[in-house]
Amino acid sequence: MIQKKICMLGGFAVGKTSLVRRFVSNVFSDHYQTTIGVTVEKKSVMAGEQGVLLMLWDLYGEDEFQHVRESYLRGSSGYIVVMDGTRRATLETALALQETAVKTMGPVPFVSIINKVDVRSQWEIDEREIEQLRARGWTVLFGSAKLGQGVEELFLSVATQIMQAVPLSSERA
Amino acid sequence: MSSDFRSPCSESSPPEGVTSVQEDWTQLRTLLLAPEQTQLDEIRERLDNRVVQSEDVSHVLPEAFALRGDNDQQLSTVLTPYVENGLAASVRKSPRTIVDAIAPIIGPAIRQAIARALQSMTQSFNHSLDESVSMRGLRWRVEAWRTGKPFAEVVLLHRLRYRVEQVFLIHRETGLLLQHVATDGAVIQDQHVLSGMLTAIQNYVQDSFGGRQDQTLEQFQVGEWTVWSEQGSQAYLACVVRGTPPASLRDILCDALDHIHAQHTDALTHFVGDAAPFTTTQPHLESCLQAHYDSPPKQGSLKLWILLGLLLLGSAWWGWMTYQAHARWSNLLERLRNEPGLVVTEAKSAWGGYHLEGLRDPLARDPTAMVVEAGLEPTTVKAMWSPYYALDSPLVLARAQSILQPPTTVKLHIEGETLVATGSAPADWARETKRLAVLVPGVSQYRDDGLVTTSIPVLLDQINRTIIHFRSGSSTVEPAEQAVLDAVSTTLRELDRAVLPSGQRVAVEILGSTDTTGSVARNLQLSKQRAQAVLAILGEKRLGDGTALVTGTVRLSDQREATSEAGSQRIVTLRASLTVPEQIHGTARP
Repeated sequence: MIQKKICMLGGFAVGKTSLVRRFVSNVFSDHYQTTIGVTVEKKSVMAGEQGVLLMLWDLYGEDEFQHVRESYLRGSSGYIVVMDGTRRATLETALALQETAVKTMGPVPFVSIINKVDVRSQWEIDEREIEQLRARGWTVLFGSAKLGQGVEELFLSVATQIMQAVPLSSERA
Repeated sequence: MSSDFRSPCSESSPPEGVTSVQEDWTQLRTLLLAPEQTQLDEIRERLDNRVVQSEDVSHVLPEAFALRGDNDQQLSTVLTPYVENGLAASVRKSPRTIVDAIAPIIGPAIRQAIARALQSMTQSFNHSLDESVSMRGLRWRVEAWRTGKPFAEVVLLHRLRYRVEQVFLIHRETGLLLQHVATDGAVIQDQHVLSGMLTAIQNYVQDSFGGRQDQTLEQFQVGEWTVWSEQGSQAYLACVVRGTPPASLRDILCDALDHIHAQHTDALTHFVGDAAPFTTTQPHLESCLQAHYDSPPKQGSLKLWILLGLLLLGSAWWGWMTYQAHARWSNLLERLRNEPGLVVTEAKSAWGGYHLEGLRDPLARDPTAMVVEAGLEPTTVKAMWSPYYALDSPLVLARAQSILQPPTTVKLHIEGETLVATGSAPADWARETKRLAVLVPGVSQYRDDGLVTTSIPVLLDQINRTIIHFRSGSSTVEPAEQAVLDAVSTTLRELDRAVLPSGQRVAVEILGSTDTTGSVARNLQLSKQRAQAVLAILGEKRLGDGTALVTGTVRLSDQREATSEAGSQRIVTLRASLTVPEQIHGTARP
C-alpha cells in the first residue's frame, strides 16, 4: 500500500483533532501534541483502485504562543487546512498557514474544511469569503466534528488529489 | 485523389473547349505531384495494413512503456489486473514453473526462520535448565507465576544484558516506514505511527536545540528500553533496545545502513510512498537484532551435573522397576496361559495397574493366588473372568469326581474322552454312575469293566473257604480239583482289581497238610509238595499284579482243627489277606 504524509493545519481549537479522532487509528494521546506540537495518526482510504495509507501529522493549533514547526511540514505529499466557521480569525490563520505550507512544501495538493457546519447560523465566515477562497484555487469543504460529517470526503478528496498529481515532479523537487 | 485537388473553375459547368483545359490541368497535376502522390498512396497502405502496424509498434513498445512508467503509476495500475490474472492462470496451469522460480528466494528465508526459531528455543531451554535448581531460579519461578509469563522468558529477561527488539528503517524526510523487523515476543505498537512519531521527535529536538542538519538525536531512554537512531542521507535506522547496548552495536547499525543506502540509492531518492522495494532490506535489519545474555555462574554447572546424575539414577531406577514389573507380568501371563481351565482373552498393562479378561472353569485354580505367586500386588491387577467348562483331562476328571462322588475304593481316570472306573463299589453306585457319567461335561463315554461290585470281605471269605483235596500219599492235584482252582483264580483276580484303587495288595498263603499216618518228616515234606503243586497251578492262572502267592505248612495243632472242620487232612487250603506293599516280605512269584 502506498503511504503518504499529510499535515493537518489550522488555528487553535478549530477542531482538527476532533474531526479526525473518530475515524483514525489512535495510538498516542493528545498529550504529545501539546508537548512537541504534533501527534501522528493514520487513516486508510481507497483512491480509485489504489489503497493509500495516509499518515496524518496532526499539528498543534497555531496561536500567538506557538507557531507551526516547519520541519514537521517537510516531506508532506499534501495537507489539510481546517477553519472554524464561527471564528473569522481562523480564516486569517488558515491563509497564513497555507502560505507557510507553500513556502515549505511547494505547490502540493491541499484541501480546506470549515468546521461546525452544524451551527451554520452562528458562522462569522460568510459566503463571499468562501467564494474568495475558491477563487484562489482552494477546495473548500464543510464538516462537523460534532456530527462526524465531511471527514471521509475530506480524506478521500486529499488522497485523490495527491494520487492524481504528478508525484515525481512535485515530490522529487 | 482527383477530388483533393479541385480546379478553380470546377464550380461552373464546363463550357466548350474546357475539356481540353481540364485534361491539360490533369496532365500538369500529374507532372507536378506524381512523387507526392506515390508517397501518399504508400502511407495510406501502411496505415491500412495491420501487419505493418504491429511491426512498427513492436519497435517502440519498450521505450513507450519506459516513458509512461516514468511519468506516473497509471501504467502499473492498468497492467496490474492483467499481470495478476496471468500469474494466477500460470500457477493453476503449471505450478512447478512458479515454484522453481521462487524457490531460490523462499528456501533460504524458510531455512533462516527455522534456524532462528531453533536457536531461540535452545537458548531459552539452556537458561531455564541452568536456573531451575538455584534459589534465584525459585525466586524467578515465583515471579513467572505472579506475572503469568513463561519461566523461560523470565529467566531470559533477568539474564539479559541487552537485546535489540525492533528495528525501523524510516524515510528521513517524510517519516514514512520503509521496513520493520522485530524479535519474537517484542511488544509492537503500530509501527507506521511509531515511525512518524520518532521522526517528529527527531525534528522537535533538532529544532529546539538549533542543531544543524547532521546533528540529530542519537538515543533516548525510557525505563528499561533505549531507542538508538543512526542517520543516513536518505533514511535512518531506529532500534528499540531492551537493556544497555554496547557501543559496538552502533557499528553494526552503520554497516547495515550503509549497505541499504548503497543497494537502494535509486529507490530512496525517488521514494514516493511505496515501501515495496525495501522488502529486500530485511536481512540487513535482521542483522541488527543483536542480543547478549550473562553467562550462568560456574557453580551452576556442578548443580547441573548433580541434577543430570540424579536424573540418570532416577531413569535407571525407573527402567529397572519397569523391567521387573514387565517380567513379573509376562511370567503371570505365561502361568495363566499354561494353567488348565484358564483362558486369557485380553491382557493390558498401563501406568499403575494391569487389566485381564478371560474365561475360567469353576474348578480351575484361583488366579489371584497365581498373581501373588508371580510377585505382583493383587490390588494392581483387575481381572474379569467369565465361567466356562474346560475340556482339559484333569478338570474333566475333577468335575466327574465332584458330580459322581465315588467311594474311596473306586478309582476314576480319563482316557481321551472316556471316563474309566476301576476298583470295587456298591452295585447301586455302579449302576447310577453308568447313567450319570456321560452327562458330565467333557465325558462322552464311560467304561467300568474294571469295576468290581462284590465287596472285598465276601471275596476274601470265598477264597479262604477253598479246599483242594489230595489222595493219600499223593502231591498231585486231581483233575477233579481243577475246577476249584479255576474258580478261586477268578475270585483272586476280582479281589486284585477291587483292592487296586486303595493301593493294597493281596497276599495268599497256600497251606498244605497231611493225615496223621506216616512219619512226621514224610508228612511235612508231603505238605510242602502239595502246597507247591497248588502254587504252580495258580501261578499259571494270570492273576493280578497285586496278588502275591506264598506257600506254607499247617502246624499240628492247626491240622487237628482243620481235620475236625474239613473231615480230611489230605488237603491244601488258602488264606488270603490284604497288605500294604511294605508288609510283604519274602514273597515268591511262581
